Amino acid sequence: MAKKLKGPQMILANWLDSGRVVFFTRDGGWSADTSLAAYAEGEALDALLAEAEKSARNNLIVGTELVGATIKNDAAYPAHIKHTVQAKGPSVRPDLGYQVATNWEAA
Amino acid sequence: MYAYDKFDRALTDTRVAEFRDQVERRMKGELSEEEFRPIRLMNGLYLQLHAYMLRVAVPYGTMSGDQMRRLAHIARKYDKGYGHFTTRQNIQFNWPKLSETPDILAELAEVEMHAIQTSGNCIRNVTSDQFAGATADEIADPRPYAELLRQWSSFHPEFSFLPRKFKFAITGADQDRAAVKWHDIGLIVRKNDKGELGFEVLAGGGMGRTPVIGKTIRKFLPEKDLLSYVEAMLRTYNEQGRRDNKYKARIKILIEAMGADEFARQTEAEWERIKDAHIDVPLEEMARIKAFFTPPPLEVLATNVPAINTLAKQNFLFASWLKNNTNAHKVPGYVNVTISLKPHGGIPGDATAEQMDLVAALADAYSQSEIRVSHEQNLILPHVAKRDLPALWTDLDEAGLGTANVGLLTDMIVCPGLDYCALANARSIPIAQAITKRFDDIKRLQDIGPLKVKMSGCINSCGHHHAGHIGILGVDRKGKELYQILLGGSGAEDASKAGILGPGFDEHGIVDALEKIVAVYLGERRDGEEFLATYRRIGADIFKEAIYDAA
Repeated sequence: MAKKLKGPQMILANWLDSGRVVFFTRDGGWSADTSLAAYAEGEALDALLAEAEKSARNNLIVGTELVGATIKNDAAYPAHIKHTVQAKGPSVRPDLGYQVATNWEAA
Repeated sequence: MYAYDKFDRALTDTRVAEFRDQVERRMKGELSEEEFRPIRLMNGLYLQLHAYMLRVAVPYGTMSGDQMRRLAHIARKYDKGYGHFTTRQNIQFNWPKLSETPDILAELAEVEMHAIQTSGNCIRNVTSDQFAGATADEIADPRPYAELLRQWSSFHPEFSFLPRKFKFAITGADQDRAAVKWHDIGLIVRKNDKGELGFEVLAGGGMGRTPVIGKTIRKFLPEKDLLSYVEAMLRTYNEQGRRDNKYKARIKILIEAMGADEFARQTEAEWERIKDAHIDVPLEEMARIKAFFTPPPLEVLATNVPAINTLAKQNFLFASWLKNNTNAHKVPGYVNVTISLKPHGGIPGDATAEQMDLVAALADAYSQSEIRVSHEQNLILPHVAKRDLPALWTDLDEAGLGTANVGLLTDMIVCPGLDYCALANARSIPIAQAITKRFDDIKRLQDIGPLKVKMSGCINSCGHHHAGHIGILGVDRKGKELYQILLGGSGAEDASKAGILGPGFDEHGIVDALEKIVAVYLGERRDGEEFLATYRRIGADIFKEAIYDAA
């Protein structure tokens, strides 16, 4: 199923308690920093998703979802505006969300 | 205002305890997300774009100063210092932690508030006229009936798992400020030839991807029969509404399919069967509920207040606020004040904790500790003595709550859009901000006159774009946000469905297009004619030419 998706994908989810958006990372953890996110495409996607869902089974993570990624300098960023807003925070409240902790525009 | 009795209190307290246990079990992993999701939704807790979102009901849009203070406290203690008032007279908190939501609900229960049935396929918060009980153009205060419906529908075992969500609205005035014709069931208080109170009953209205204006199912339903009749309507829907396709599951689809006459016939047949089954409350119970909504004892005051006239002559903004943000009260010498939550450049419907505290304090000082929320996402102080208006306006203006734009172009209904909502396709708030910056001049807005702009970030229509004189719909076209314009809708007693003009515009183009539409109106209007009347007279083509041909 997942392998039919076009282009590189990353895995987005939420922390169970805070609900905040996180991405499955290359070292098998979860982070709000998309540049640490693992990504894959084609046949490798199912394996990545399985690995993420295994990690999610510790009950700290909910709602794993594959989202399209744009790759820049080997780092993944959300391809669609919806997931960019999710990753950064509300565009109308630059004082809230992960955008506060990082310099997104420079990324 | 209604005050909880021991049953209401036990109901909400028990639900808080139950939800606390469910959250603890979820946190420990004893409940899976699949098991927990319907439970949290029934308690108003969504998982949205950035975090959890808790939707708290303000039943029929009425609350006290103490309740507003509690909302401010929750915004400050458990959230990020603000809340968002919605088109269904709810407030949404955008950042609560799951583990803290039981504490939030417990704090709400202390002030007789809850989040029960603010989500899920059940009967949602019953909405009403924001000026109910305080307006000069009212047959009767609709809130006692709304409260009766709240009690009847809370945890109603037969209607807790309907085919789809279900929304009631009720008004007691001829002027429809509650969009009753756009609801699953709409109720309008009427009097029959004998002067007896009752309701015109409408059904099958709704927005979403299939906008439909409700149809009258019964011209006059006696007051005493309200519950048994709506129970018959709900039962007809519950039995026959589609459950195979969520997009075809609302009552509007059923009524469109079977016809309003047939729905009415089946409802009447079911009602005939159950009307004597003691579903309706005794007259004494109705009288008990009505007693909570007895109008405050207001001393009749002078209608002409020289100090107001003097200030209005000196200060254009006060004069504008007086003209746009106040409306007639049933008692001479008083008005209802609408506090605009649409500051130019701000976020429509948002209020900070500090603003909520201020509104609570002003309600204590000037409006009998009463506050209303309108479906147009503003706050109202009812029962304000005219002589207090200069002091009230000064306090509001200093807190950024004095924008004099109520009923004008920038008093837009705007959904949270892609900045907050997991369903949205496009952002709404930045477009609203750009529009309010372009139309920042109150003098110009007043010259344009009454104009309802309503904007949604997707076809689910939380921003009521089908009911806007001018509607704006955000869509996603290959990953880009585009905005379509609709014209000619109305959410009022002359309800009409807006039609799409043509292809969408980008975020800059939409503001230009809006300006061109306004220019066409100003060029075409006849003396005293409001936008909607001009549109209905001249049609869509001339507007279409203006925004597409010149491009």
